Amino acid sequence: MQMPEPNQTIISQRDALAQGLRQIVGKDWVISDDAQRRPYQCDGITAYMAMPLLVVLPGSAQEVQAVLRFCNEKGVKIVPRGSGTSLSGGALPLEDGVLLVTSRLCNVLAVDEHNRVARVQPGVPNIKITEAVSHLGLCYMPDPSSQLISTIGGNVAENAGGVHCLKYGVTANHILGIQAVLMTGEMVELGGAYLGAAEGELDLMGVLTGSEGLLAVVTEIAVRLEPVPEVARVISMSFASVEEACECVGAIIGVGIIPAGLEFMDRKVLDAVSVLIKEKFDDRTAALLLCELDGTAVEVDALVGVVSDVARGQGAIELKVSTTEEERQRIWSSRKLAFSAIGKLCPDYYCTDGTIPRNKLPEVLNKMADMSKKYGLDYANCFHAGDGNLHPIIMYDAAKPGDLEKAEEFGADVLIACVDAGGVLSGEHGIGVEKRDLMTHQFTEVDLQQQQMVKCAFDPKDLLNPGKMFPTLCRCAEFGRMHVHNGNLRFADIPRF
Amino acid sequence: MTDTQTTASMRPATTQDVADILMDAASRGEPLVVRGNGTRAGLGNPVAATRVLELGGLDQIDFYDPDDLVIRAGVGATLDEVEQVLAQKGQYLPFEPPRYAGLYGTNGARSTLGGAVSTALSGPRRILTGAARDFVLGVEGVNGQGDVFKAGGRTMKNVTGYDISKLVTGANGTLAALTTVTLKVLPAPRAEVTLVLPAATLEEDVALFARMRALPLGLGGLARRVNASGLCELLVRVEGTVPGVAGNQQVLNGMLATRGGMVVLEQEQSRALWAGVRELDCLNAKPDELVWRVNLPATTMPAFVEQARSAGCINRFFVDWAGGVVFSTMRGVQPEVDTLRYRKMAEKAGARATLLRAPDAVRAQFGAFPPVSAGVAALAARTRTAFDPAGILNPGRMTVQA
Ligand SMILES: Cc1cc2nc3c(=O)[nH]c(=O)nc-3n(C[C@H](O)[C@H](O)[C@H](O)COP(=O)(O)OP(=O)(O)OC[C@H]3O[C@@H](n4cnc5c(N)ncnc54)[C@H](O)[C@@H]3O)c2cc1C
Ligand SMILES: Cc1cc2nc3c(=O)[nH]c(=O)nc-3n(C[C@H](O)[C@H](O)[C@H](O)COP(=O)(O)OP(=O)(O)OC[C@H]3O[C@@H](n4cnc5c(N)ncnc54)[C@H](O)[C@@H]3O)c2cc1C
Repeated sequence: MQMPEPNQTIISQRDALAQGLRQIVGKDWVISDDAQRRPYQCDGITAYMAMPLLVVLPGSAQEVQAVLRFCNEKGVKIVPRGSGTSLSGGALPLEDGVLLVTSRLCNVLAVDEHNRVARVQPGVPNIKITEAVSHLGLCYMPDPSSQLISTIGGNVAENAGGVHCLKYGVTANHILGIQAVLMTGEMVELGGAYLGAAEGELDLMGVLTGSEGLLAVVTEIAVRLEPVPEVARVISMSFASVEEACECVGAIIGVGIIPAGLEFMDRKVLDAVSVLIKEKFDDRTAALLLCELDGTAVEVDALVGVVSDVARGQGAIELKVSTTEEERQRIWSSRKLAFSAIGKLCPDYYCTDGTIPRNKLPEVLNKMADMSKKYGLDYANCFHAGDGNLHPIIMYDAAKPGDLEKAEEFGADVLIACVDAGGVLSGEHGIGVEKRDLMTHQFTEVDLQQQQMVKCAFDPKDLLNPGKMFPTLCRCAEFGRMHVHNGNLRFADIPRF
Repeated sequence: MTDTQTTASMRPATTQDVADILMDAASRGEPLVVRGNGTRAGLGNPVAATRVLELGGLDQIDFYDPDDLVIRAGVGATLDEVEQVLAQKGQYLPFEPPRYAGLYGTNGARSTLGGAVSTALSGPRRILTGAARDFVLGVEGVNGQGDVFKAGGRTMKNVTGYDISKLVTGANGTLAALTTVTLKVLPAPRAEVTLVLPAATLEEDVALFARMRALPLGLGGLARRVNASGLCELLVRVEGTVPGVAGNQQVLNGMLATRGGMVVLEQEQSRALWAGVRELDCLNAKPDELVWRVNLPATTMPAFVEQARSAGCINRFFVDWAGGVVFSTMRGVQPEVDTLRYRKMAEKAGARATLLRAPDAVRAQFGAFPPVSAGVAALAARTRTAFDPAGILNPGRMTVQA
């Protein structure tokens, strides 16, 4: 993984820049010494590190504007950061760039119970929104596993998903309005605090969502609130083969049921987890599905019956259905502990998130087994089966020379297999630096150029989070010139209309 | 209805033909009207162009994978056909795309999928299941230089590059001539009933809507209209599994008992009723009337409606999305004056007023879509340039030149 060469001239101006920024945000909120900058060197991907030139923590949207205006004038790059849980290196700092951290922008600004909207600042951790409205019987639906820590601003930037987005949708489906600051310091308000507030102009809010901090810094978000479902029950279903478990996923959806969540865990994950939860799984079990159903009590009871029948028909060897909230929590604990359990099995692991059509699950999982042999690295599978969002966990040892590179190649092969199966490189973690160089496998040059042209409309100087998402830097001026060349007609000899 | 100066239309059958037409037009800087079959050509501002690029010929269904809840089709596939294909597997387009054929005096059977995505119109179910933008997974299209590009994909989740699919949804043909779209579909609810009850005041009704929506009752429609006998009534659509609907209906019976006079419409009757709501039939818009859509917070709706009615800006109206949208007619006597007044009123209330139907001259002068701030307008203009540097795709459809 290579990043653009840092600009030494900018680096040499560090002290002056720090001084200028202190005038904007106050002296305590610009971090320049080594010890305090160190925790910001990486995000959720610890394999990639860089020391940010400076770390700035603005205390208001106006300060964000002023910081961006200042950096834009000086030609200094900005990397936005929420809590730094990104699993694609989206918040990886640049040595010649300012890391703009939103952790001081952490207020729920307003809750509109009647219209079911909350206005929040970007640094609010996802869970805090639900906590602020739970006394009203409401919640904010998207629930990434990182929800205790990850910020709503980071969720918007990565269009985060979660276990319940199978039924309720991802972040983009729950955002009604965004206030954002462009690199020039100009503020734009998109949509608003009600359904339909964005009608009648280009869906700029839609393109900002999932733009990984490359288009603008989000300074306020209006999110939809939903009533908390009356009951939720989970069914744990064991299968003697991975194929049967995968086929059961399609079968459940095929009968017209969209579960609230539908998760897959393979035997390796179960073995790792059983140590932690001190519970044994049936020896015959090769894969386990967790299927959550929610709604009103009568409805859920009926759905539990239907799904159980489907699972038995698909060869499930054991079914456990939660009857109380404690049981539900206990059954889910295996899934929640999965990643930390695997973490105890190996010095390091690496997890990607390619997404495929659901019916390609068996095919791609089989390919993974072959890749594991090829690279001599062990792996485990624990993923959002309901929406075909894979999370292969590749185990390696960073202390062993060459192991990280092998793990990366293994991960890349999995992602390529996903694209070849009709899927995409990322379902919820984003491209960042991690999957950047694979973009050409999914998109043609024209596709990528069209995307980069959008970047030019927002950030023509390419100062916001450059080096992420695209394998090449944006050359806005050049794109402009290319338009002129394109005047000559392709296929000039075929008949015109 | 609009774009009346057009003299010739081109109806390509393949993406490559579309690309050739656009490259040719771009080389001469010739603007084009882009449309599906033109059934909703009256939506948006008139476009000053002499030739039409009609995409209705791209009407194949590429694949439909019911177990994976996904369909990909050419933009010219009709909504009727797509919905029929889905219905055979018990599935549907959850955003309930309106045709508005009655409004524009066109043939709704020819309304295309591409038109539904490009206009991003969503029906009454939006409050429960989402809008058109929430179901577009991927697109293929041709930009204003004749370059064929694709964006998005066919999987349920995707954060691979910018979400260009959202950007082109609702762009009304201004960014690209779309050629195929990939949509997420859902199993249609097995059961539906509609409870019809007498309306009270707008304030009381909106408060009642909110009380009902505070519970997870699967309400796929909450509207208030004047019925054929001139009576104001509330429509409450309950959807879901058979036991779920029965249970939720019981809860609602309890909540609504004090109102009295409730009538229950079962399955087929309920479907027919909401198809009419979706098409704004109950507005009974007369040919010379203007038709408006105003999006606003439900809580501010009653005061806004009262004010607009007494100012003569609303003639007849009905309310959908649990109070979050008002559809209304306006007398066509002094359309310029009233349009300006109504827009100002909406702006003051923090609402977005879209002129769904009006004479060409009115839309050309005031714009069919509500104005946005100068900053957003400039950003949108730069974004359009990123797709269509020569400005040949439906120029002016969404924006009024200052
Ligand atoms: C244990 C664990 C579990 C996870 N589970 C899930 C999961 O279930 N689903 C899922 O989708 N993801 C998951 N993630 C990934 C990650 O939590 C999400 O991507 C999350 O949205 C990142 O939020 P953050 O605040 O940490 O953002 P950061 O990591 O700080 O930043 C992420 C990206 O957002 C940009 N950004 C941040 N704030 C802003 C802003 N205000 N304006 C503009 N750009 C901004 C950054 O530049 C960067 O590109 C998980 C991560 C971990 C470590
Ligand atoms: C065939 C027919 C069609 C009619 N169509 C309309 C019409 O399109 N618009 C109209 O204003 N009246 C219409 N009316 C008249 C309407 O039904 C009532 O008679 C009238 O609103 C009652 O007025 P009011 O002064 O008693 O109550 P008001 O105080 O005017 O209204 C009581 C409450 O009902 C609301 N309200 C009144 N009329 C409507 C309506 N049509 N839609 C939604 N909410 C309403 C008001 O905003 C108020 O909150 C129609 C009558 C007939 C017979």
